[in-house]
Amino acid sequence: MGVSFVKVYRANCNKFILDNMVNENLVKDVVTEPYKYGFVTDIETEKIAKGLNEDIIKLISLKKEEPKYLLDFRLKAFKKWQKMKEPDWAQLGYKQIDYQDIIYYSAPKQKEKISSLDEVDPKLLETFDKLGIPLTEQKKLTNVAVDAVFDSVSIATTFREELAEHGVIFCSISEAVKNHSDLIEKYLGTVVPASDNYFAALNSAVFSDGSFVYIPKGVTCPMDLSSYFRINSGDSGQFERTLIIAEESSSVSYLEGCTAPMFDTNTLHAAVVELIALDDASIKYSTVQNWYAGDEEGVGGIFNFVTKRGKCLGKRSKISWSQVETGSAITWKYPSCLLLGEESVGEFYSVALTNNLQQADTGTKMIHIGPKTKSTIVSKGISAGNSINSYRGLVKMGSKATGARNYSQCDSMLIGDQASANTFPYIKSQQPNSEIEHEASTCRISEDQLFYLQSRGIEFEEAISMMVSGFCRDVFNQLPMEFAAEADKLLALKLEGSVG
Amino acid sequence: MEIIERIKTNKLIDNPTDIQKICLNKLQSNPLPNPKSELWRLSNKSKFSNFFEYSANEKNPNFDIPYHSNPKDIIRIVIGLDSQILLKKENYSIQQLNRDKLDKYIKQKISCFDQNEHWSDLLNLCLSSEKNILGLKIKGSKIPPIEIFSHALSNSLKAKTLVIFVEKDCDVKLLQVNLGKENSSLSQSTFFCLEENSSVNHGIVSYGERKSHLLNSLNVIQQKNSEYNLGSLHFKFNYARFEIRIKQSAGNAKTNIKGMQITKNNEQISTYTKINFNGPNGFLDQINKSIANDKSHAIFEGLIIVPKIAQKTDASQLSRNLLLSNFAQIDTKPQLEIIADDVKCKHGATISQLNEEELFYMRTRGITLTEASKLQLSSFFQEIISFIPISKDRWDLLDKLLNEN
Repeated sequence: MGVSFVKVYRANCNKFILDNMVNENLVKDVVTEPYKYGFVTDIETEKIAKGLNEDIIKLISLKKEEPKYLLDFRLKAFKKWQKMKEPDWAQLGYKQIDYQDIIYYSAPKQKEKISSLDEVDPKLLETFDKLGIPLTEQKKLTNVAVDAVFDSVSIATTFREELAEHGVIFCSISEAVKNHSDLIEKYLGTVVPASDNYFAALNSAVFSDGSFVYIPKGVTCPMDLSSYFRINSGDSGQFERTLIIAEESSSVSYLEGCTAPMFDTNTLHAAVVELIALDDASIKYSTVQNWYAGDEEGVGGIFNFVTKRGKCLGKRSKISWSQVETGSAITWKYPSCLLLGEESVGEFYSVALTNNLQQADTGTKMIHIGPKTKSTIVSKGISAGNSINSYRGLVKMGSKATGARNYSQCDSMLIGDQASANTFPYIKSQQPNSEIEHEASTCRISEDQLFYLQSRGIEFEEAISMMVSGFCRDVFNQLPMEFAAEADKLLALKLEGSVG
Repeated sequence: MEIIERIKTNKLIDNPTDIQKICLNKLQSNPLPNPKSELWRLSNKSKFSNFFEYSANEKNPNFDIPYHSNPKDIIRIVIGLDSQILLKKENYSIQQLNRDKLDKYIKQKISCFDQNEHWSDLLNLCLSSEKNILGLKIKGSKIPPIEIFSHALSNSLKAKTLVIFVEKDCDVKLLQVNLGKENSSLSQSTFFCLEENSSVNHGIVSYGERKSHLLNSLNVIQQKNSEYNLGSLHFKFNYARFEIRIKQSAGNAKTNIKGMQITKNNEQISTYTKINFNGPNGFLDQINKSIANDKSHAIFEGLIIVPKIAQKTDASQLSRNLLLSNFAQIDTKPQLEIIADDVKCKHGATISQLNEEELFYMRTRGITLTEASKLQLSSFFQEIISFIPISKDRWDLLDKLLNEN
């Protein structure tokens, strides 16, 4: 149903209206739906004591049976973190985070070793079923391999054997530490070093789990890979780490989804994602972020501080970020590309929607270092309610980036007169033989268009949702199909009650 | 950095006026601007510290204006020179504000200053002696063009302050010229107040010589139905910083800004603008151009603030930059902060070099590369220069830029 919903948006207007009338019930369902992922799974979990110190880090490392180099990596990061200050330059206001009041490791209790999915606690499987994540292998209808992360640990990874046939490694990062230690040691922290920023240092010190992907030379990954992050405990933070390596001439599409239950406390989520693309490799990384955003009064919600960065190391390599950010009370996220290889390409497509008292400060960094590098930025921000939505982006042309090009477009849409939309592009050039173009505009829902749609029998909220969807189309077109459907529904749902 | 030391010990001036005392006190807590703040982050610290190398002592202010004699149809004022200005003609009058009124106005301004944002103004008012603060009230119609000079002589640091009230229904053309001699520092703060239905065409031409420094701050308040047009040009300073703050106090006003900065050698010139719409139906059209050559650094940061009250605002901001050398640097940051929902706001930024195809075309027609580049540059300059009032015939700006610079 969802898929057809997206297709109609891409069709012409008349057909759109016809189809939409047929789908009337769907739209109604969608618009009146509350945050449906807000349930808590009642499952026995193993948690360690609150607080953060060297002993806690040693304990996490011990629990995960990590080699010494990783413990050293963590401790070094922790030392750096202690010396750092929480950044305050973003257009965000939130109450002080007490880092000693967080549980840094929480895992559902289950048998020591799982040989097949049948041994996973059924309650856990039920949770992921409720979230619509196909974990059980009987449900092979969707051709997507999933790595599911519940609080601090990875629960299950599907389609492993099929992937292994192609030489693709897709597993949790803890497993990778055990089985592919050489790759972890070689690449971990090379794109986002521990000292990069406050939250990256914190993550490096306490990261619990996450996904690891390795695509060998010349392989096009046979299916989309996906990880699903679920926060279940109210008092534990989630600190996952994702590392994707694409060897020469390989390619992969990776999807990421996130949800959390509704708690009236704020939960911290500080993740690090590192991508490495070698010669001719391409990585497409898509996110639909729907963490719990807090209620209408701004109580509760996830604080989302994420460092995502890709390194285009090889010639003609390509990294493409696409994201739909609708959740979280606070979003602080700048997926970036370091364009080192000659003719490498970086892309960033983003839709960020904020409603009620949500605050988002998000954007990208495109650092052009190698010659003839190219980057494209398309950012769409929608602010409704009393929210603040800021785009913050950096485009930098280094002195060796001859013939480099960048095109940026940042559009904002304001709904209601209480929301605010800000644009902060930082543009820096040290290379005369490069071109940078930046455009930004701000608009509101056009009353003429609204009137037109309403005069054709389309209800007010439906019309709004159609127009928002049209506004975001440039970005939705970049998303994988399943995600595009989800994203569309999500936007409609999030905007409920914010207009009129 | 002697001056900083003296600010700290409050011994800067022998007999400080009230205003100087207030500013000194404010500056004592942070004698240097916060380098971490967005407004000063890119500022070259060593160049900026050179600003304080020179002595601020009053010396013989003799000054020869470096061009043609004063033509009849232009009113010329040199800040710090003219003792009393009072021009009363049939249809207009230009009157110097009395000391009490001026002091009161400035004190009231200072009380609203944000320490970080108005750091340049605080320094200016702290250094500016009574003689160097000029307040003018302009009213009437058919006013001849006005030229106002500020200057710093070699091996000196000078601060000049200008306060101008433009009364209702008044239409003024005003060119402000800031000159920095070799090894000098000039701090210029200007406060403009445009009353209802008034219109000002304001030009600012600032040019220096070797090792000259400039801190230029412009504060404009526009009342309803006023129109403010600003054309500005900054070049040849080792370090120059131009801050523009414009507030449309009740909206319904028009602002046009066309600015340009040209950097060569090792210079750093920056422009910071902040436009605040404090009422509905405001209009802004802004374009800022930068050219950076050799090892120089040009910076533009523009901020547009549209609060909830400013519905139907129409604002556009464009930053166009030419990077002419491999060692030069350009930073540009056009920003929008919008809360009102019924607005049209857009901004754009480009950084590129001279158009190669156009150069090639001209060369195939027998024009040398140097001339072809000059032609392209002159078209780049022309839009800004033609917007600066009364400079056209008297300053040969285009010629200066193309041949001297």
